[in-house]
Amino acid sequence: MVNKNRGSGDGLVAGTGTGTARIGVDVGGTFTDVVLATPDGRLFVNKTTTTPRDPGEGVAAGIAAVLAEAGLAPAAVAEIVHGTTVGSNTILQKAGARTGLLATRGFRDVLEIGRIRTPGMFDMAWSKPEPLVPRRWRLEARERVAADGSVVAPLDEAGVREAAAFFLAEGVESVAVAFINSYANDAHERRAAAILREAAPALLVTASCEVMAEIQEYERTSTAVVNAYILPAMRGYLSRLAERLAAIGVGAPVQVMASNGGMVGLAAARERPVFAVGSGPAGGVAGAARLGPAIATPDLIVFDMGGTTAKAAIVEGGQPSLVTEYEFRDGISTPSRFTKGAGYMLKVPAIDIAEVGSGGGSLARIDAGGLLVVGPQSAGGDPGPACYGRGTELPTVTDANMVLGYLNPEALAGGSLRVDAALSRRAVEAHVARPLGLGVEEAAHGIRQIANVNMARAIRAVTVERGKDPRDLALMAFGGGGPLHAVDVARLLGMRRVLVSPVSGVFSAAGMLAAEAAHEFVRPMLVPLAAAGPAAVAAGFAAMEAEGRAALAGEGYDRAATRLRFAADLRYLGQSSQLTVPVPDSGFERDDMAMRFERVYRDTFGYVAEGEPVELVNLRLSAIGVARSRIDFARLALDPRALAGAHGERRVSFARGAAPVLARLVPRAALADGPVQGPAIVESYDTTIVVPPGCVARAAAAGCVEIEMGDDDA
Amino acid sequence: MPESGAPPGDPIAFAVIKNAMDAIVDEVAWTVIRTARSEIVKDVMDYSAAICDARGEMVAQAKTIAQHLGAIPEAMEAVKARWNGRLAPGDAVIMNDPYSGGMHLPDIFMFFPVFAGAEILAWTVVICHHTDMGGRVPGSNAADSTEIYQEGLRIPPLKLFHAGRMDETLEAMIGLNVRVPDRVLGDLRAQYAACQVGAREIAKLVERHGADGLRAHLAALLDYAERMARAEISTWPRGTYRFVDHIDSDGLSDAPVPLCVAITVREGGSLLVDWAGTSPQVRAAINSTLSFTKSNAFLSVRCALRGDIPNNAGVFRCIEVTAPEGSVLNPVSPAPVAARALTGYRVMDAMFGALAQVVPGLMPAAGEGGNTVVCLGGRHPDNRPFIVVDMISGCWGGRPDQDGIEAITNPSQNLSNTPVEVLERQHPVRIEEYALVPDSGGPGRFRGGMGLSRSYRLLASEAVLQLRADRVRFAPWGLDGGGEGGRSGNWLGEGEARRALPGKVTMTMRRGELLLHHQAGGGGHGDPLARDPHAVARDVWNGKVGAQAARDAYGVVVAGPGARLDEEATARLRAEMAVNRP
Repeated sequence: MVNKNRGSGDGLVAGTGTGTARIGVDVGGTFTDVVLATPDGRLFVNKTTTTPRDPGEGVAAGIAAVLAEAGLAPAAVAEIVHGTTVGSNTILQKAGARTGLLATRGFRDVLEIGRIRTPGMFDMAWSKPEPLVPRRWRLEARERVAADGSVVAPLDEAGVREAAAFFLAEGVESVAVAFINSYANDAHERRAAAILREAAPALLVTASCEVMAEIQEYERTSTAVVNAYILPAMRGYLSRLAERLAAIGVGAPVQVMASNGGMVGLAAARERPVFAVGSGPAGGVAGAARLGPAIATPDLIVFDMGGTTAKAAIVEGGQPSLVTEYEFRDGISTPSRFTKGAGYMLKVPAIDIAEVGSGGGSLARIDAGGLLVVGPQSAGGDPGPACYGRGTELPTVTDANMVLGYLNPEALAGGSLRVDAALSRRAVEAHVARPLGLGVEEAAHGIRQIANVNMARAIRAVTVERGKDPRDLALMAFGGGGPLHAVDVARLLGMRRVLVSPVSGVFSAAGMLAAEAAHEFVRPMLVPLAAAGPAAVAAGFAAMEAEGRAALAGEGYDRAATRLRFAADLRYLGQSSQLTVPVPDSGFERDDMAMRFERVYRDTFGYVAEGEPVELVNLRLSAIGVARSRIDFARLALDPRALAGAHGERRVSFARGAAPVLARLVPRAALADGPVQGPAIVESYDTTIVVPPGCVARAAAAGCVEIEMGDDDA
Repeated sequence: MPESGAPPGDPIAFAVIKNAMDAIVDEVAWTVIRTARSEIVKDVMDYSAAICDARGEMVAQAKTIAQHLGAIPEAMEAVKARWNGRLAPGDAVIMNDPYSGGMHLPDIFMFFPVFAGAEILAWTVVICHHTDMGGRVPGSNAADSTEIYQEGLRIPPLKLFHAGRMDETLEAMIGLNVRVPDRVLGDLRAQYAACQVGAREIAKLVERHGADGLRAHLAALLDYAERMARAEISTWPRGTYRFVDHIDSDGLSDAPVPLCVAITVREGGSLLVDWAGTSPQVRAAINSTLSFTKSNAFLSVRCALRGDIPNNAGVFRCIEVTAPEGSVLNPVSPAPVAARALTGYRVMDAMFGALAQVVPGLMPAAGEGGNTVVCLGGRHPDNRPFIVVDMISGCWGGRPDQDGIEAITNPSQNLSNTPVEVLERQHPVRIEEYALVPDSGGPGRFRGGMGLSRSYRLLASEAVLQLRADRVRFAPWGLDGGGEGGRSGNWLGEGEARRALPGKVTMTMRRGELLLHHQAGGGGHGDPLARDPHAVARDVWNGKVGAQAARDAYGVVVAGPGARLDEEATARLRAEMAVNRP
């Protein structure tokens, strides 16, 4: 399905349809955040309750509300960019399609065998994630292709037809086809998929080579299976969403955020929803990537702290750092990178995000040995922290912040959420302070400090562990808790510069309006770089370019709005993991690429193996469509209501052992009048910024707040 | 006064330092991956990292190879015995000698002292499996050596780095004795770089908490783990619990190799693990040094404890391990030890068997019993040599409250598998099957995990096959009435011409021949007749258990192409089987 209601004859490009306003929607576990941007740079925000049964209900309600707030008619909407958790929730809740798999004879169990690692040690009670296709619905086709692409045994077409009949008889709805070595020759796989489609038109069929044709049978199979598994749910959701939007008069096209921080049109999202499994957290990073250059800080650490987890990612030169595969799993048990095997492997490009189980709702408790532990268990948004008064007994990080005076003791979210600070105090006292023999403030500082150490660890995972020094980068904080903890986390890492994004509480939704359309393509090569024929390389790039341009043209992006980023995956011959090296504008030249590879390798691993042969693993293309109406943070005019807050004073305990001090209470809007000296708390509708003693908060470009850090022990 | 058993001192600094130590040791481990040269470290991740206090007790360990870390205390004793008082900042001591606390020659330990002023405050320790240590075969890992002198270069505790500079003599000596000096010396430098990262981060903690403060917290961390472990062990019923498991043979003879353990739960929450009665040391290289035996014993006990006890040497303090000198679990030089991994797996199996009598609600029945190792060496058509080293992992046995896991690493390790497509791309071999073996999971109320099969067709003119499998004769055992898991097996050829091979074999394979291996399945847990018949029907529906086996082993009748459970017939059959039981 391609959008027909955009791009009229006057050469308009994507995002300019009939209306002019763009809307970003981020569906979270508790709240659905909606941000509307007008071409003159005005921004309107709305937070509404998420409707888990059909998230589209909340989305439509939020859009209606934000339109009313902006005083715009539904027809004024040009485009909606949507971060959806439908893909991820379908997997987590095991609510996907009855899914089948057709594999090469001898290999139907590849999906269940996986890579055989466990995420923890010594845990004999662990359960391996159930494969998304039961063994009964994993069938085998007689066929075999060799590693060089030659055919060892022809495809048994009659067998494929029998498989189609079996799938139908069993009530299977969606099927993945993944054959051994199809990355080298996909003829059998494509033919088998065609036969299934023809013999059983009711089946939804995903061929692994149509998703991501990379070497490694388990990863490719798993990716295709996840795609097949979530296909019907995603299609159903997108259709229902379109209906709901139509019902409120919004006919604008919907774009879906992809895991790589780009967005894809409905047509792509309906065919390859696996690219959108990591849709949720991508928006904030895409936004930070756009925001950085607007404030002359293109290199950033993105720090997003929400209710359940905190996430870190890095942006360099205005681009998010990407990985080519990731494991999607339930919950966050540990920030360790050595943890594999707990989820479903997806070989699709994604933003390199480290996540830890420290959020505002993370529960603090004392374990059997007397150790204070914070998270990963979370009270989430419902029942929420103890101060919400909905029955949570244990204190959360939010309760610790409440006890210390960082948060408004009566209401949060601009007054819309009543809280009771006495409940926070009681929870911290009963469950942490008394068992440890500490004062209540001391205990609250302890909870905060442990959460901060955990979050610093997530940042180390995307910096130090990648050969980068966090002290060279600025911290960009957002999310409900980011600005509350940013200074302390930065100090733990020796960082000197902290920034708070505009509309911090809904920045993920705003960030989606900064995303570019992005389609990813890969061509396996697997030849020594020195032997890579220029003609073969050129042909590979040309084929991907044609696909990429076609995909973008289908979404309304003309040549002028199209950017092509070519890259090559390279490694030393014999290694099993590779590095993605961008191809320069001057083109792919072997010696030059070898030099570039060595430079990236040295940056990542600290040495180069001079003289060792390099292998060309894959060619890659990111085909980017740049919407002319992408949000420009430098020209932002924020709704003053979003920056409003109270003036006043509050007693705040900034350091353990030190007496609480009287801190100024300042609305975010007041920063326009000049810097604010700590100790201070800067409040607005969706954010609380903590400015400790010795620090200074000042308004920066593009709606950001910069916190100048004083001495640690000031 | 704190209400709980909270550690003395500042509980918040304590919690912060515990988290910091976990983070630091992971960062040390990550630095090894970032800077190492060899695939065995970078891709297979056969290495480990730890931080020890001044006395050498391990305070934190990375999520790497658990089997390595229990060996640190013995190795540390050897290092301290030689170097006490003669180390300075920037020095690093290496060793690999199995008879000075090491495990086997490819595993080189590096010990790096972290100083606070003139005193050692802590140690960072990194152990890497090196690609080659010289000796009679590439990889220095042969199972059929008969004395350690054949296995490669033995390194006693020696200083490889003096104040940050590599020792010229030792570097030249190592370089000349190994087949791939660039890799080995490169990986040694990676170990050093990682140790330095640990030292740098520990120095930051010293800045914040002071040397005395940190020292006190490290001691408290060990005490904390010991206290938790003792508290838990003291809830275990006192007594002595015995178990005997076997290795099929050492490969040079047919004699089974028994491992006999007696675990005594003592007053005060400590354990004595005694291996009296175990087989004398054997001719082939499956002897396990005492440090490796201890390591596997510690690891097994750790699996029987709750998850929130920190993984540090405080737990080791509660466990005393003895094995008769000259036995396969405490061999005397010059017994060969290179392939001791197999023996380590069986130590764990025996330990689990005994621990299952102590904490029956926690321990699984026997899993596959360790990786099968398939090595194929020959030449490509263009005469380039190739060596395939492929490890086939297995499964866990049935557990007291859930089925065993299929297709999973042995719990003593955390290795991965080699993708079929990668293997075929690099080597003249075609994998024709990589699958679960139906009916291989031991029957039980909770079924054992299924074994894996993997087949190899040789595409080169010929190759030397070295295959090390076990559990061909002694199947993985069940628990509490559960049945044995399927045995492992090796076969060559197809159809009528297919013939069984011994478990451990060295032979020549020819072009076009097909080798098939079945890894053992896990033992079952509990009475198979007590298994939920719907779970049995589900297994039949899923092709994991055959209809016949459902009837014979479980008394469950499943009928029709839809594998429908016949509840009435099942009730009748089960009643009948219960009566006719011996």
